[in-house]
Amino acid sequence: MRPEEISKKTEQLVTIKTEDLAPLPFPYDTYEETPITPLKEEQKKKWEHSLDGVSALTLPKPETPEEEERLVKAFLSGLEKLMTKENNWTFLQPLMLSLEYCAKCQTCADACPAFEMSGRKDIYRPTFRADVLRKIAKKYLSKGGKIFAGFRGHDIDLNWDTIARLAELAYRCTLCRRCASVCPVGVDNGLITHELRKLFSQEMGIAGPEIHEKGSVKHLKFGSSTGMTTAAVADIIEYLEDDIEEKTGKRIKIPLNKKGAEILLIHNAGEFMAWPENPMAFAILFDAAGIDYTLSTDLVGYDAVNYGLWYDDVQFARVALKHIEIARNLGVKKIVIGECGHAHKALSVIADRLLPGAQMIPRESSYTLLNDIVKSGKIKFDPSKNDFPVTLHDPCNAVRLMGIVKPQREVLNAIFPPGRFREMEPHGVENYCCGGGSGFAIMSSGNFPDWKRLVSGRKKLAQILNAFQGEMDPSIKKMVCAPCSNCKGQIRDMLESYEVYEKTGIWYTGLVELMVNAMVDQKKPYIEWPGEDDDDM
Amino acid sequence: MGFLQILTYLSGLVFVIAFGAKLLKYATMPMHVRWELYPIPHEGKEWGGSFYEEIDHWKKVRHKDHMAQYRFMVPEILFIRALREDNRPLWYWSFPFHMGLYLSIGGLVFLGFGAFVQIFGMVPENSALASLFQSLTTVFAVPGYILGTIGALGLIVKRTTDSNLADVTAGIDFMNLIWLGLLFVTGFIVWLQDPGFNVSRAYFQSLLTYGPMKEPMSAIHVVNLLIFIGFWAYFPFTPMTHMVSKYFMWDKVKWDDDPNRGDAGMDSKIKKYLAYPVTWAAVHIDSQGGKKTWADIATTNPWENKDQK
Ligand code: SF4
Ligand code: SF4
Repeated sequence: MRPEEISKKTEQLVTIKTEDLAPLPFPYDTYEETPITPLKEEQKKKWEHSLDGVSALTLPKPETPEEEERLVKAFLSGLEKLMTKENNWTFLQPLMLSLEYCAKCQTCADACPAFEMSGRKDIYRPTFRADVLRKIAKKYLSKGGKIFAGFRGHDIDLNWDTIARLAELAYRCTLCRRCASVCPVGVDNGLITHELRKLFSQEMGIAGPEIHEKGSVKHLKFGSSTGMTTAAVADIIEYLEDDIEEKTGKRIKIPLNKKGAEILLIHNAGEFMAWPENPMAFAILFDAAGIDYTLSTDLVGYDAVNYGLWYDDVQFARVALKHIEIARNLGVKKIVIGECGHAHKALSVIADRLLPGAQMIPRESSYTLLNDIVKSGKIKFDPSKNDFPVTLHDPCNAVRLMGIVKPQREVLNAIFPPGRFREMEPHGVENYCCGGGSGFAIMSSGNFPDWKRLVSGRKKLAQILNAFQGEMDPSIKKMVCAPCSNCKGQIRDMLESYEVYEKTGIWYTGLVELMVNAMVDQKKPYIEWPGEDDDDM
Repeated sequence: MGFLQILTYLSGLVFVIAFGAKLLKYATMPMHVRWELYPIPHEGKEWGGSFYEEIDHWKKVRHKDHMAQYRFMVPEILFIRALREDNRPLWYWSFPFHMGLYLSIGGLVFLGFGAFVQIFGMVPENSALASLFQSLTTVFAVPGYILGTIGALGLIVKRTTDSNLADVTAGIDFMNLIWLGLLFVTGFIVWLQDPGFNVSRAYFQSLLTYGPMKEPMSAIHVVNLLIFIGFWAYFPFTPMTHMVSKYFMWDKVKWDDDPNRGDAGMDSKIKKYLAYPVTWAAVHIDSQGGKKTWADIATTNPWENKDQK
């Protein structure tokens, strides 16, 4: 399918059929997949779905031709702004280079898990959405763009269908940037998706509801994208202290708003709700290692997420500046980011050039600090307590996009008996996204969860299964270590949808939980497998 | 001075101005936020690691292995390594095509050297240096023409027959390949007619001296020259200048991991950008049509204190 066909007047451009999907390894090689749930008639009437029958955005259909026209104009005006330094100094240079220079070699296509696992559907090619944007820019915004547009390869119609499909298409890419790492001329199709999302959000107010209204807006309004208020945090922390006492037999005080502490530790607040054992494990380890740290209960300061990273520079900056301000007010020497991949990249890398240097504060990955704790010998670990096969998932944001590859591996090698840790293939900076990147892990509108299950998460599931081939007997318990909240959420959803634990004995957890499980001082097992504690299931 | 010479100068002028403008356009764009992609060779960690793997990294002196960048880039440019590793079927044609171009350009450079020494009466018949330049012209240009022709033909066939590529290839892409293919083929025929490149050298000499062209030029040579002249002027306006992105996307984007440690240059840029007016129109941005700057909107939390529990 040529990118120009995106403007075609048709009910639905592409249908995802389960028989087209790339196969999964044993024991799912004969598995009967559940297809994508079609939208109900009333949903179809309300929401745009003409790309692939999936609605991730629940984007309302315009009611009048005038409204359509207004939206088309808004899109073009947004595209124009995207190409000005005043409105887009943040990404102008890589965007313009990526728009200008595609050599149309399709090397990126084979690197993209969404394209590959969908059964190579053209609309999910990394170049497809980029090409559509390129062609619109050339035809409608460059001088003489309409002359010989067909011969020059950019004769595309700009109508509401094009825009509605493009909006959905901006949410069929996880921004993993695997495509960018193989492109021979350096084009970054992941970045083009990012910029497209920005255009929709910053100009037209269109974004995934879970990442905007229920995400960054809630974060700035209540203090956390989970909706957890500043008043509730202290209570939650107290519950964690009770749970720690129950699990370890020791009462540990989790420091809050401690002025002058060495470290401000910020977790993805989703951990407090979904995986409290993760922040608890941090508290146990930091206590045992004698780390001088604090958590914050200030608005925004207790949630490391920054959803703006995926769709909106302004929302991004608002949250990042808040994180920095809170750390400065506390007078800490550095911020340490918990197990959240996108928070790592947001605060360490992207926010790095938002303020003059004197106003910044050093940021560090928890993986690095945890490895330092292990190497310091301050905590004694007994690897035999972790005597089960384990593999490691590399969160794209912390690994390919930040270069933190070794510390988490060194930790695993120190807390597992030799031979228990095996890599997925490929891994490290060549890893595949969990399928929940760029906000997908938390996006659950319309029938989008089905798309994630069948398409974006499929490659990671295949990789996980491949890592344990030969040991698929469910009685052999096996673990995926995923040191990132969003990746964990996505992996949990995949394992549950496919009943992977029941069929193969594979479960998931974070890095710190595995560390506490191996602590000599930890009398009871810290890791719980499904069924051992019904609350966790 | 003849018509062909004037056209050649004009074409060169267009090339220099347009290509220079392109470089200038990208070089003067604002410093963007960091958007690196690992592995970064200058980090010197072959597993793709970065300084973030080190505790208190900001307290340490950064070591950049600059040679590693060249060790990466030279084979990347010469042998198109990324394509070889990740898209071998296309590399079989793209590599000879690009190598053909590089060698032909090499041939042109030696032709120019030969023309230059010829101004001082050094010709292959009486000067070892001129003879060396003549031989090198042949050694570079002829294999260049052959490889370039094979590559261009292969790419045309591949782009027509491979459905992955056919859907994304436009008429103009075929035109570009045919254009370059014809340049290689006619260049090869010119060489068959004039194996010592004597006429070409004389023409180059006439360009260097603004003098008349003394040697008669065959019809096919004129055609070859016209194809070249046209292409030279057209090239900077096309995505075929992807060496520009190869430089900027690697050096200034994928490998730009310089942390903000408060150096004056970076600080002044950041301050300037934060003062840019914003005109994004979505309600939550609250840009007030350009009345607010980046600093204003980024430091305002429109939701703070409203409905806060
Ligand atoms: S690999 Fe790069 S040049 Fe090739 S099609 Fe993809 S984006 Fe374009
Ligand atoms: S960023 Fe990742 S998901 Fe998006 S197009 Fe590139 S490879 Fe595919």
